[in-house]
Amino acid sequence: MSDAILSVENLRRYFTSPEGVIKAVDDVSFQVKKGEVLGLVGESGSGKTTIGNVIMGIYPPTDGTITFNGEVLRETSKKRSKETIRQIQMVFQNPASSLNPKRTVRQALETPLKVHAKDVDVGKRVDELLEMVDLPSEFSERYPDELGGGETQLVVIARALATNPSFMVLDEPTSALDVSIQAKIINVLMRLRTKFGLSYLFITHNLSLMRNVSDRVIIMYLGKAREVAPTVEFFRNPMHPYTKMLLSSIPVITEAEEKLKPEKVSSTGEIAGALNLPAGCSFHPRCPFVMDICKKEVPPLLEVAPEHLCDCYLYLENRFGQSARIGS
Amino acid sequence: MKLLEIEDLKLEYKVYEGQLKVLQGINLALEKGEKIGIVGESACGKTSTVKAALRLLASNATVTGGRVTYQGNDMLSMPHDKLVKLRRTSMAMIFQDPSAALNPVFTIRQQMFDMIKYSTEGNLSTKEIEAKATGYLLEAALPEPQRILGSYPFQLSGGMKQRVNIAMALISSNDLLVADEPGTSLDVTIEDQIMKTLKRIVDEKGISVILISHALGTVKNFVDRVYVMYAGTIVEEGPTSRVFASPKHPYTKMLIDSVPKLTGEGIPEGILGQVPSYLNPPIGCRFITRCPFKIKVCEGDMPPLYTVEEGHSSACYLHEDKQ
Repeated sequence: MSDAILSVENLRRYFTSPEGVIKAVDDVSFQVKKGEVLGLVGESGSGKTTIGNVIMGIYPPTDGTITFNGEVLRETSKKRSKETIRQIQMVFQNPASSLNPKRTVRQALETPLKVHAKDVDVGKRVDELLEMVDLPSEFSERYPDELGGGETQLVVIARALATNPSFMVLDEPTSALDVSIQAKIINVLMRLRTKFGLSYLFITHNLSLMRNVSDRVIIMYLGKAREVAPTVEFFRNPMHPYTKMLLSSIPVITEAEEKLKPEKVSSTGEIAGALNLPAGCSFHPRCPFVMDICKKEVPPLLEVAPEHLCDCYLYLENRFGQSARIGS
Repeated sequence: MKLLEIEDLKLEYKVYEGQLKVLQGINLALEKGEKIGIVGESACGKTSTVKAALRLLASNATVTGGRVTYQGNDMLSMPHDKLVKLRRTSMAMIFQDPSAALNPVFTIRQQMFDMIKYSTEGNLSTKEIEAKATGYLLEAALPEPQRILGSYPFQLSGGMKQRVNIAMALISSNDLLVADEPGTSLDVTIEDQIMKTLKRIVDEKGISVILISHALGTVKNFVDRVYVMYAGTIVEEGPTSRVFASPKHPYTKMLIDSVPKLTGEGIPEGILGQVPSYLNPPIGCRFITRCPFKIKVCEGDMPPLYTVEEGHSSACYLHEDKQ
């Protein structure tokens, strides 16, 4: 597909520990289309942050390729060109630890400008960046500890914007913040996306938030993509038993939301340890619909409805049309 | 009969910059067997309120006014030995971070045995203690209690550790259980299981519960009555279903609106600004700095709680003309 800005193919990232190999990301493929918000959802240990870090080149993948704008990305950011680094930026979960406490907001915003921007009035550009994220220009002389959590995250977003990126990895950008402030951050992010035609890989564990921001959703569980679908289709017709368990576990507020939750799949069991993954489908010990084949064979991720992929044997019998991996 | 009653509680913390005037006249009541929730953003005084009531405050905190009555006794002036006895037999608290609540260098058996021993005043044999510990673990839906008892905290997952904390809380919570964000640090599927276990247990045993959480959905599914706190004040209280279905205080309305909905109505507005500094909090309504409906009178005195319907009240001057 030519309209993909980022394409991840058969990505694996293993970590070795004294106890053995941890398959943090195990054969994951997906594409982010231009201007799209792709939601990457999963519980802790599902590998969603690892995917973000590998895309950023913070550490190299064990296997697989990442293509950005048609060009295969080098393994780590050190090997990447300045232009590639400029194009891909990231916002981390904890805003407080993303800024140097001893440098003012202005200094934090100036650094990427000095490295990446030529012939720019740095002082003016800092004011512009603050304006883009709805912060008053007086904030430029403040230190991070003089900012609230939401304001700090806005500064981090402004810093990521400084290089005029086309793609951003947002790793739980609002998880550390209160809901009242979350809304503000998300609104700023969505407005910037429209204004600059940005594409986002939006990593979160919050399905309710995902429902409202992303165009497509990938559900991760223990290093694998379990279900991939456009957001609307996903919430109308969740398929994977894990997805249903996840949806039915969300504490919601309104009656209308309660009706959307799938019934009958109540949450059981614990997420398996990453060192000793169960054989076959790694979700099978918690799955209420487990069959013999699930304990032996790893289910492939296949298209089971239009644009709707799922790696569960329950759906493989009557899947429509030809099987297809994501992106091929 | 009221199990716990907090009247006009005021609390300050001494910090380098001066006095933080955190709690400003908290009124809260808990009936026997009732489950109440305290919701609000971070740093609104939710944990401070219960810590003041249970006398668990940090050394830089001073209660500057008000009364706390627990089972007819004045908690704030209670002698230490009586307080210890209450803590061993009547009340318990579950904290947000299950790992931090357990001692890393002792096995679960050692930690539970100590608690059972003291809560029963040393009248049980080791065998009886073992049987009791096993019973509590099973009640908290932990399989293989023998293995759990022999484990150190690091050998258990986060969900299991929180279940151990629930089991340990059961040892001494014959009347009151305070759960401070019990599922927040856990994954959503695990949180769901933990909250269901907790609810089953407290309903079976008739234990009164104070659930503190910023996750509105969790509170809604758990408690009978809810208190909404903002900046050290209670802005709204009422039956859970009423408060969520028809919130009266602007803060409650905006807080509920801020939560993204599964139904996908788009991104809510949120509440601009942040909780005011406790060094110099606003004199009148503490929500004044963020409230879109503020009027002149809000700057004067702190608004009283207006009863808007039976058992449901809201501290906002907007209700004044409707009285």
